[in-house]
Amino acid sequence: MASHQETHLIHMTNQIAANLGGGRDEETAAAATCRHLETFWARSMKHRLIATLEHEDGELSPLARRAVTLLAERLAKRHAG
Amino acid sequence: MIEHYDPRRQANSVDFSKDYGTPSPYPGAATVNLEIDGVSISVPEGTSVLRAAALADINIPKLCATDSLEPFGSCRLCAVQVEGRRGFPASCTTPVVEGMKVTTQNERLAKLRRNVMELYISDHPLDCLTCPANGDCELQDMAGSVGLREVRYGFEGENHLQASKDESNPYFSFDSSKCILCSRCVRACDEVQGTFALTIDGRGFDSKVSAGQNDAFMDSDCVSCGACVQACPTATLMEKSVIDHGVPDRSVVTTCAYCGVGCSFEAQMKGDQLVRMVPYKGGDANHGHSCVKGRFAFGYATHPDRLTTPMIRDSIDQPWREVSWEEAITFAANRLKAIQAEHGRESIGGITSSRCTNEETYLVQKLIRAAFGNNNTDTCARVCHSPTGYGLKTTLGESAGTQTFDSVMKADAIIVIGANPTDAHPVFGSMMRKRLRQGAKLIVADPRRIDLLKTPHLGEAQHLPLRPGTNVALVNALGHVVVTEGLEDKAFVARRCDTDAYHRWREFIAEPRHSPEASEAITGVPAEAVRQAARTYATTGNGAIYYGLGVTEHSQGSTMVMGIANLALATGNIGREGVGVNPLRGQNNVQGSCDMGSFPHELPGYQHVADPIARGRFESVWGVELDDEPGLRIPNMFDAAIEGTFKALYVQGEDIAQSDPNTQHVEAALTSLDCLIVQDIFLNETAKFAHVLLPGSSFLEKNGTFTNAERRINRVRKVTPPVAGKEDWEVTQDLANALGYPMHYTHPSEIMDEIAQLTPSFAGVSYAKLEERGSLQWPCNAEYPLGMPTMHEVEFPIGLGRFAITEYVATEERANRRFPLLLTTGRILSQYNVGAQTRRTDNQRWHDEDVLELHPSDAELRGVRDGDWLGITSRSGQTVLRARLSERMQPGVVYTTFHHPGSGANVITTDNSDWATNCPEYKVTAVQVEKVSQPSAWQQRFSTFDLIQRDHLANAHQEAP
Repeated sequence: MASHQETHLIHMTNQIAANLGGGRDEETAAAATCRHLETFWARSMKHRLIATLEHEDGELSPLARRAVTLLAERLAKRHAG
Repeated sequence: MIEHYDPRRQANSVDFSKDYGTPSPYPGAATVNLEIDGVSISVPEGTSVLRAAALADINIPKLCATDSLEPFGSCRLCAVQVEGRRGFPASCTTPVVEGMKVTTQNERLAKLRRNVMELYISDHPLDCLTCPANGDCELQDMAGSVGLREVRYGFEGENHLQASKDESNPYFSFDSSKCILCSRCVRACDEVQGTFALTIDGRGFDSKVSAGQNDAFMDSDCVSCGACVQACPTATLMEKSVIDHGVPDRSVVTTCAYCGVGCSFEAQMKGDQLVRMVPYKGGDANHGHSCVKGRFAFGYATHPDRLTTPMIRDSIDQPWREVSWEEAITFAANRLKAIQAEHGRESIGGITSSRCTNEETYLVQKLIRAAFGNNNTDTCARVCHSPTGYGLKTTLGESAGTQTFDSVMKADAIIVIGANPTDAHPVFGSMMRKRLRQGAKLIVADPRRIDLLKTPHLGEAQHLPLRPGTNVALVNALGHVVVTEGLEDKAFVARRCDTDAYHRWREFIAEPRHSPEASEAITGVPAEAVRQAARTYATTGNGAIYYGLGVTEHSQGSTMVMGIANLALATGNIGREGVGVNPLRGQNNVQGSCDMGSFPHELPGYQHVADPIARGRFESVWGVELDDEPGLRIPNMFDAAIEGTFKALYVQGEDIAQSDPNTQHVEAALTSLDCLIVQDIFLNETAKFAHVLLPGSSFLEKNGTFTNAERRINRVRKVTPPVAGKEDWEVTQDLANALGYPMHYTHPSEIMDEIAQLTPSFAGVSYAKLEERGSLQWPCNAEYPLGMPTMHEVEFPIGLGRFAITEYVATEERANRRFPLLLTTGRILSQYNVGAQTRRTDNQRWHDEDVLELHPSDAELRGVRDGDWLGITSRSGQTVLRARLSERMQPGVVYTTFHHPGSGANVITTDNSDWATNCPEYKVTAVQVEKVSQPSAWQQRFSTFDLIQRDHLANAHQEAP
């Protein structure tokens, strides 16, 4: 069961994905959503959101999920680099 | 030959303390040469002889003329003789002509003027020595100037000396016995303010100035802007503060601390006492006009509720303990350090104030980034115009409005979306009204029928009464009409916009699902009306869009801002005077607080924290390493506080407990904090949850700058010492030093120098230049040393304008059977934001409680009558307000304001927010209303808590040595 905070983060991410999804192909939309999260969200929120990828299923919309996966990859790359 | 007029020097050489008698003609007029009393002078065509003479320092006596009003020619005091013309024309109504030779003074003219004055004085009280205008009366001056020595008519005849006074207005009195019927007040109300509340009633000897149809001022349409008081040449219309205290003896030009118009005022003083605020004619934003707030509602600054001593307490159920500044600062710093040691660097944060100065805001975010070591900084722009920043930066490349206020005077079609300028930005509203009277067309997109639609205008006025929450569907429909009916400015798009983005947008917007016919079911606006509005905007010369919080405070606020920018780009309405995208900013320095790096992801000047070059510059000047990740926004801070990971907050000059949505959620967050430091001038709602209370300084008590909605940086000047001994920036500096991060500014000008050093758009700003120029509109740098009034004239900061895809996504906040009405919120003229200032003035007389406006048909359905108590319930909570039936509302939509804390308007607003910026969706809340007989549970709790906290404050005072 997700905490209130996690539910809220997931909800916000879905909202961003829905707004950046219209009129774009999925890859562009996912990249735009990922970029938005990266640019505007606090470190702690990003980490909490990425953590939901592991134990939450179905709550992130497919596009949002794709975007969060991309974000996880980018952050991992940044830490590695 | 003496050359008195040089148009290139005019802007600097006009003396704003002098009355030139008639307004200056529009710039660009041809030059006319004439001779006045043998002095040759060149002036622009259209100048009156009176003004031309005044420019040459030949001061013709006058009474009915003043340079804020069109000439009227009624007093005949300014009569002159013109060679080759018969008679004695009034110089105010006589325009200059090439080669004209004017005589302003000779025996015949002197006799004529004395006769005129003699008639005036024969029906005027001779109580000059006890008159409140003594020493500041044009009638008195003119009697002296024309050498009036006797009144041969006597004073026994029929007269007006016993005429009654109207004292109904709390700020000024109307003493009809002193009126000379010059009509300056009536004309000021019409021409300057645009309210048309005053008239001359009756004829001949019975003529008198009347508010409405012989109403008292308070019962009339008068909005108490003060323009009539300003225009009155006698003591007829007089500030009560001058009647009480006498004529001021010195004045300091400063900037109003109410709305985002940022009017310049002369603070007129006697010693340390502020006697009156008079709008400054040289103010680039207001040109000598004012509203009831800035002009009169300054009494809060000396209200007994002002906090004057720092206070601390260990927990919020304890009384306050009055302490020294040093003890309070040490207490706060120790708590912050202890919390960070226990819960981590990111467990604390701060909120900068959009009411404080640029310098103070800059310092608070610097304290957070450099001394707290994180980016947990935000400002109340989060809850109002953060979508403007996001939307405009994405499309136009800069987070600010594109025009000056004056630009509206060149607009031919004006769209106003989700803004109510006559109430929320009154001085700009008056300018817009002036343009509408000249014939500009008006389109208002608003769920309510706002007053602007009622204003007298020459051009057509269209109203698009959309359902709350459907802005994006509407703007897409407007865009669809522009594209499909061939109304685009293709040359502009080709030259100035990114082609790929444009084609993607064009393809998107041309889809039939965006047509007005398809979106009618969503917006509720008839398709034909949308088509008509799009045609008007796109084809009537200069099209200008003005918008307010009705655009931004939605789940798609940012999308809507981009939709507006798309519309302006597609029609080529950007990059010159008279057009543009114009956010009307709510608070005095909300533009400035955004510019100064208040947002968690941006350093001053909108430089992203992840940008290593920008960050590096700050690191080298600030001498610390800065976090490269954005911090928490205000709502994120609340969530983290409730979760237990965010423990301390420093709030300067913002009342989040009253102004932020879902009050019970905010209260829960504030209660979760281990240390809340509030710096404010009053014990506001937030301060009731605080552990450290640091008394703030009002705008009259400090030096600094504000930046208004047109990017104009204006000086704020200290006119009286801070009541608690420190300006706000000094307190922040003390806190930084106590935390071990050194700050050693001795004056705000040094802070501005640092801002200029680190912020490219402010590189050319300094106090010296502000002193010289009066004000500067950023960007102000090497390329634009005097600033930039109109943006994007040549190119966008991102090179080409970028169209954005604006998919309409319906808000999750929908009406249903349980909550069948949509609540939207707004402001009214007399109160300002949370009301902390205006509630402590006589502005209360206009609005002493928030009410719920609803359409008579919704009222009838529920058996509600005007004045009934109504319970308003949403998914977030319940509150109780009195009902006001109003045809301004559309059925299904209800409206209230949030100026009074006990109203609990934000108990019912929800957590929903803009997808991009988390700006709350104040403008759409699904509610049900029903008749009730007692306050809501929240209101009862509020009232108890309020009493306890006031008690804690009162006890603190008693304990003091």
